[in-house]
Amino acid sequence: MKVSNITATNRTIKRERISTNLLSVKRNKLLYLMILPGLLYFIIFKYLPMGGLVIAFQDYQPFQGILGSQWVGFKHFIRLFTEPTFFMLLRNTLILFAMNIIFFFPLPIILALMLNEVRNRYLKNFVQTIIYIPHFMSWVIIVSITYVFLTLDGGVINEMIVSLGGKKISFLTSSEWLRTIYIGQIIWKELGWSTIIYLAAITVVDPQLYEAAEMDGAARLRKTWHVTLPAIRPVIITLLILKIGSTLDLGFEHMYLLLNSLNRDVAEIFDTYIYTAGMKNGQLSYSTTVGMFKGVVGLVLVMASNKLAKKLGEDGVY
Amino acid sequence: MKKRFVSMALVLTLLSSLLVACGANESKGSEDNKGKEAGSASENYDPNSKLDVTWLNILHTASPPTDTMVKKIEEYTNSKITFNWVPDASKEERITTALASGDLADIVTLTMLTNSSVRNSLKSGMFWEVSDYLDDYENLKLIPQAAREAASIEGKLYGVPFLNNLARGGLIFRQDWLENLGIAEPTTLDEVYEIARAFTEDDPDGNGKDDTIGFGDRSDLRYGSFKTLSSYFGTPNGWAVDENGKFTPEFDTQEYMDTLNYSRKLYENGYLAQDFAVTAKSDQEQQFAQGKAGIFTGIIGITGLRTLAEGLNMDFKLLPVNKISNGDGEYHIWSEGSGVNGLMAFPKTVVKTEAQLKRILKFVNDICDEEVSMYMTRGIEGVHYEYDAEGVTHIINKDLYTAEVTPFSSSRPMPTLFPLKSENPEKELTTKLINENDAFAVFDPTVPLDSATNNEQGTELAKIITDATFKYIMGQSDEAEFKKAVETWKKSGGSAIITEYEEAYKLTKK
Repeated sequence: MKVSNITATNRTIKRERISTNLLSVKRNKLLYLMILPGLLYFIIFKYLPMGGLVIAFQDYQPFQGILGSQWVGFKHFIRLFTEPTFFMLLRNTLILFAMNIIFFFPLPIILALMLNEVRNRYLKNFVQTIIYIPHFMSWVIIVSITYVFLTLDGGVINEMIVSLGGKKISFLTSSEWLRTIYIGQIIWKELGWSTIIYLAAITVVDPQLYEAAEMDGAARLRKTWHVTLPAIRPVIITLLILKIGSTLDLGFEHMYLLLNSLNRDVAEIFDTYIYTAGMKNGQLSYSTTVGMFKGVVGLVLVMASNKLAKKLGEDGVY
Repeated sequence: MKKRFVSMALVLTLLSSLLVACGANESKGSEDNKGKEAGSASENYDPNSKLDVTWLNILHTASPPTDTMVKKIEEYTNSKITFNWVPDASKEERITTALASGDLADIVTLTMLTNSSVRNSLKSGMFWEVSDYLDDYENLKLIPQAAREAASIEGKLYGVPFLNNLARGGLIFRQDWLENLGIAEPTTLDEVYEIARAFTEDDPDGNGKDDTIGFGDRSDLRYGSFKTLSSYFGTPNGWAVDENGKFTPEFDTQEYMDTLNYSRKLYENGYLAQDFAVTAKSDQEQQFAQGKAGIFTGIIGITGLRTLAEGLNMDFKLLPVNKISNGDGEYHIWSEGSGVNGLMAFPKTVVKTEAQLKRILKFVNDICDEEVSMYMTRGIEGVHYEYDAEGVTHIINKDLYTAEVTPFSSSRPMPTLFPLKSENPEKELTTKLINENDAFAVFDPTVPLDSATNNEQGTELAKIITDATFKYIMGQSDEAEFKKAVETWKKSGGSAIITEYEEAYKLTKK
């Protein structure tokens, strides 16, 4: 008796909630209408093209089309997971990602905190402008500059090493240096630009907190540690989650320019592999499979890290 | 509730996308059928009708040509031509994408017949099979049987082959450096090695500085120096086939290993550019034109090098060489595609009827005529070139010629039909050497054969060997590791390729 009563009230509550929901939709018709363009955008340009993923289960031939091509089930997935290349790709991608998180991720935060301590406004603006500039250069230019510096045939760095009595180092054609160069270039290009969000977050920190900290006798380092950093923590967490979501998206253009026959064992990542397999060799189905795997892993990682962030009491992305 | 709505929306969109995709394909398919029916119904075509033709073509120069020559060609062939130029450097991506999206033209220039995407498209019946039509045209019927076979896939010819010389490999030396050092023209690999050493160590330019190297090279084993050197060693071109029909890939031969050791020694001693593995073609040419390197691979580039050097105010004498042996006096040089450079293919989706195809073939036949051939190689008499008393053509306006004429020169299906005398003695000499090459060209026996595994994974597998070769030359691995790479190649699909080629070869022999 009691149980049925409860379910009945539950039901009415649910019904009421639905009707209030509907009512609010009705009341805010215009507001909801405004979502429409965005929604259409996502449906037309993001969700409809996903239908094309079915070719991952086919031996897709453009001439025969999606309907005419032969269905092969999981053939391409089996090939992906059984080929030795797969583990190389996964390893390279994960290592580069880890290096990215460890060496690159904290740097903009530190730089932003340092910039925040600069008291002279003009100097601060000047420095900010200067450090944003590399972001606007394309990878082609950055890789070319690096090439000119590092080449064995008359590169500046190698000439310097030789004149100091050292031996030339083949930076560009060895597996050992690839990762260092890769991360170095990312830091050079993106460090300044990445501080923007942190700087913005720092400006909204309530000045009263600093004053209170000063009253308690906190010096600059203490204030940074106990006031600024905790204040921008949600931003850091959000950016970290987003970053993790793009784990397998290391940037095709950059790596493709660095890749050559001699560093392929550490430099080949999913992005470059998809490009060579799909665009150059025309294995459309297979490269779709690789891309799909990449996408699914990215999705899972975002959801997992978001869950984790929430468990740890942070806000998360959604 | 919210969640359910979202998932429903998702399902709906996915479904509708599928429907859209299906619909599009259905209509395309039926159109194709219609085209075929119409084609068989109207066998006749009007050879004199004006033709509106689009052409997806490869551009080997920096910028596309201006309209001048197009107008002339249009006039002669009674047509209206719309070119869609694809730069040679990005042809892999562009052509593959065009094939995948079906965004093609009446005539599609396909130059990478070994590329799996191109091969699969040809095999899928995307293009007209033309072998039955060629003999109806006065120029096209001259295409030799051997070239037709070389350009065929499983016995079917899916376009008009671009003919070329059988082999265009060779080396270019700095003649003035050789003279400075008192070295004669090389005839053996040992002499080439000695020259590379002398060019590096003996200050061939006489400026007292250690700033020269022997071989400038680039990150390309095929068109760089490696494959040419391997030919000199007697390595088979791609594949060797013995009398029993057994196939062996080139990198599984002793000669390949010899070439590896030779190149490794060159590299170790600094006679080969140290960063050749990351050097692009244009940089290699620059190195040579700037007088940093003394040996260049590929003799057809001679005029390009000369022009480049003139731009830099460098003056040098060049010596193209094609006859180099490994000491036994026998010459070999690898042949690119057995003299076939590619296909002019006609997609069925665009060229819908047989009558249309015949009219386009007439157009292709017409551009092989001497008059158009002259338009495409020399331009207009009096504007771009003139004849001297011996009937040799001279370019009058070089800039105009480069801008308006040169882009067309590689768009002729049969460039060998009307050979031209050149006013440039170097060019004349290389042409002579290239013709000599015909006598000792080494063919790739797999050119007309088909292997499903190679189509699918060949390019991926080739990377294993390419990487291992570079590593060996640069001293980053030893012979055992190279042999291991060959084993990996076999295990990952190479063995299947060998078997498939052997089977395909057996069929052709029957």
